[in-house]
Amino acid sequence: MDGGILEGVKVLDISQDIAGSFCARLLGDYGADVVKVEPSSGADLRRMGPFFKDDPHPEKSLFFLIANLNKRGITLNLEALEGPALFKKLAEGADVVVESYKPSYLSTLGLGYDDLESINPGLVMTSVTHFGQNGPYSQYEGEEIVDYAMGAIMSISGTADREPLKHGGFQAQYEAGLNAAGATAVALLVQTNLGVGQHVDVSTVECVSSTMIGNQSMYSFTGAIQPRRKPLGTQFGQPMPCADGWVLNQAGGGATWDDIADFYEQPILKEHRFSNQTLRNENGEELDALLVDAIKDKGKWDLFAKASKMRMLFGLVQTPEELARCPQLESRDFYRDIEHPVMGPLKVPAVLFNLSLTPYSLRHCAPTLGQHNTDVYCNEMGTSEDELARWRETGTI
Amino acid sequence: MGSTDKLPTSKPLEGIRVLDSTYVFALPYAGGLLADLGADVIKVEGPGRPDVSRTGGFAGCFPDGEVGADWWNRASTYNLLHRGKRSLTLDLTKPEARQIFQELVAISDVVMENYTPRVMKNWGLDYASLRDIKPDLIMVSNTGYGHGDGPYSEYPAQATTQEGTHGHCWVSGYVGGPPSKVGASYVDFLSTWSAIFAISAALRYRNRTGKGQWVDLAMYQSGAMFISEYIMDYMVNGRLGERIGNRHPQRAPQGCYPAKGQDQWVVLSVGSDQQWEALAKLMGRPDLLADGRFATLSGRQEHHDELDTAIAQWTVGHDRYALMEKLQGVGIAASPVFLNRDTHLDPHFKARGFLETATFPEERDIGTRPFVGRPYRFSRSDVSIQGPAPAFGQDNQDIITQLLGAPSGEYETLVEEGTVASAPTRGEPNVPGTFEEQIAMGRLAGRDEDYKAKLGIP
Repeated sequence: MDGGILEGVKVLDISQDIAGSFCARLLGDYGADVVKVEPSSGADLRRMGPFFKDDPHPEKSLFFLIANLNKRGITLNLEALEGPALFKKLAEGADVVVESYKPSYLSTLGLGYDDLESINPGLVMTSVTHFGQNGPYSQYEGEEIVDYAMGAIMSISGTADREPLKHGGFQAQYEAGLNAAGATAVALLVQTNLGVGQHVDVSTVECVSSTMIGNQSMYSFTGAIQPRRKPLGTQFGQPMPCADGWVLNQAGGGATWDDIADFYEQPILKEHRFSNQTLRNENGEELDALLVDAIKDKGKWDLFAKASKMRMLFGLVQTPEELARCPQLESRDFYRDIEHPVMGPLKVPAVLFNLSLTPYSLRHCAPTLGQHNTDVYCNEMGTSEDELARWRETGTI
Repeated sequence: MGSTDKLPTSKPLEGIRVLDSTYVFALPYAGGLLADLGADVIKVEGPGRPDVSRTGGFAGCFPDGEVGADWWNRASTYNLLHRGKRSLTLDLTKPEARQIFQELVAISDVVMENYTPRVMKNWGLDYASLRDIKPDLIMVSNTGYGHGDGPYSEYPAQATTQEGTHGHCWVSGYVGGPPSKVGASYVDFLSTWSAIFAISAALRYRNRTGKGQWVDLAMYQSGAMFISEYIMDYMVNGRLGERIGNRHPQRAPQGCYPAKGQDQWVVLSVGSDQQWEALAKLMGRPDLLADGRFATLSGRQEHHDELDTAIAQWTVGHDRYALMEKLQGVGIAASPVFLNRDTHLDPHFKARGFLETATFPEERDIGTRPFVGRPYRFSRSDVSIQGPAPAFGQDNQDIITQLLGAPSGEYETLVEEGTVASAPTRGEPNVPGTFEEQIAMGRLAGRDEDYKAKLGIP
């Protein structure tokens, strides 16, 4: 069996947040040797929930766990007297540094891209920030909700009678992590082909904005402003309540509109006033009433199976519990088992996509704080145990 | 960015050919981004199966609402997604078309497709078959639920309905309200970006080892990955996940509040007691600061509704940009809620050059239009939108006679038999009504008739 697709790539991950951590995790998932570098107080993400058994212990953050699978971990205080020099020594042998500090912070420590490039010209440095490395907002404070607001998606999410609505969870951070992994892979390809490294500047706001393909081009093609949907008459294509949850249906796929009318057992839907999208919009309130009435006593799983077999575009709203038990995800080997030194045996969502020759492998659990200090500093860098002890005393690690 | 100079020939995918036999949003967008990176991307469509980004409700808008004679080449979404590609039409239901496809595979590096699993297999165009033609081929398949023997593998899917199945709707929505879907497609883009990651890594691996491989993307799987923390919270703590609207599990107050003007909004997020103090001072509300109920994070979370009312009373009297500046000035994360107009006119977006323009040939009658670029910049590599999206089948003759060197007369026969075409034989333009009608229906919020002047395009 071949190793991972990125086998041999050495990554230093000094990010403290979700986006940078997830980027480095993806590189590790596909074979890179990733070392998480944390301050001795631990990465910020260790203080973010959910926590194992709701215990806010730094080794029990489930968010830290999933964002840091497939990494080893060391401690290093970049602001300690000897911190920058030690980090430079690590960076000399690295292919990639992933970081998510505010732009220019690392430069003030002498660890900006230009500083690192001068000691390692092949280095790829991937910076993941909310607003990017330049521009008038680059020093602003970012947050998940700001990414959706500035990314414009909020202006069209939710309903027109209420305030704009953000995505659930931390979608924007995962989006930035995935884009950062992709851009890093592009830079690694260039590194392999041409022998040069570069600085990769990823903006979370721009990741969200990149999803606005209809919204952005609507303005540049017509000058029109897109609103949120009206609260009434717009339920087709949105979650619709049924007996035991919610389902979603959209026209298209392998089903005609007449097939859809048959599925709902509502022959009235075959009338002219529902025959195309524009007319369905115009008669939306009547359409909603017909659809919701047709499914109010039906179960979501039966509806999903029957509609999908009719080649309709049909979904149901699954809960985290249903996803945890999903046979489709099981068939894809999505979940993997790990043994965490503190939390014990766990099942984790693991595989983003499947590769035929160099499959995903789960080689490391998320590291405990400083778990691999001896491994990396002594065994790999040749530092003596005495020196390591001195670094501990001086607060370097 | 650093002081490094661009290399003379430094498009990362220079010399890479991609056969893009994909539809809708996910991989067509990946193809556009690969073209930005310098690849020669050939979009393959059936004469009777024009991409849905050209037709129907997914097509977006026509320039100034004018449908035009060649409407299939004019839709905004099509033109954004397919920038910088070449266009070949091939009716893959015919053996002679599949023969051409196979000849192209032999001289391509990457093939992308998003048919349901059985289709490519039935055509003899699945990875196992194409690998015989091109042993180091990199092939990307994107499906709703993924290949394999799972119960949903053959189910049709698109992002709208998958947003429910992959769990995002469950965790999205107003506090106390039903599950909600975001205002645009979502999970498509996770496959778009996964494809860029996988293809770049696979090209590097191929350059090092001489080996290609098959990438099997499932939108459902990516979507589930992005709610990992909720799944873990269920598996470990038995928690079912709840909808918290615009709030944050560990920060308060956080929300979206009305600003001065019609449908103008600002978001803000307070992450510490110090920031809370700064906010109360900005609001001119020392009484809130003196109120012990709001002194801690848990107190502010418990009384979040009351804080929302107080914050909204303050924000509604101020301009949304002025609010951002004031709040950011004291270290509080804040932003106006951008409309699509703002994406084009905001000074930060302009300074970053996030939108890039493409200029169309005069006969296309589309002019010059800005499009979403990419969310990353490279300090050395030369990456940008390479040109406009192609007209339907515009490169048929070039590709068949020049690139593949078909004998004279063959191209003409293919045209006669309808195997290739320069106009789709099926599909209808999506004509949503006049701007005035759409505004009256609430489908549009308004329109800037002077938008071209605002954008500085002719």
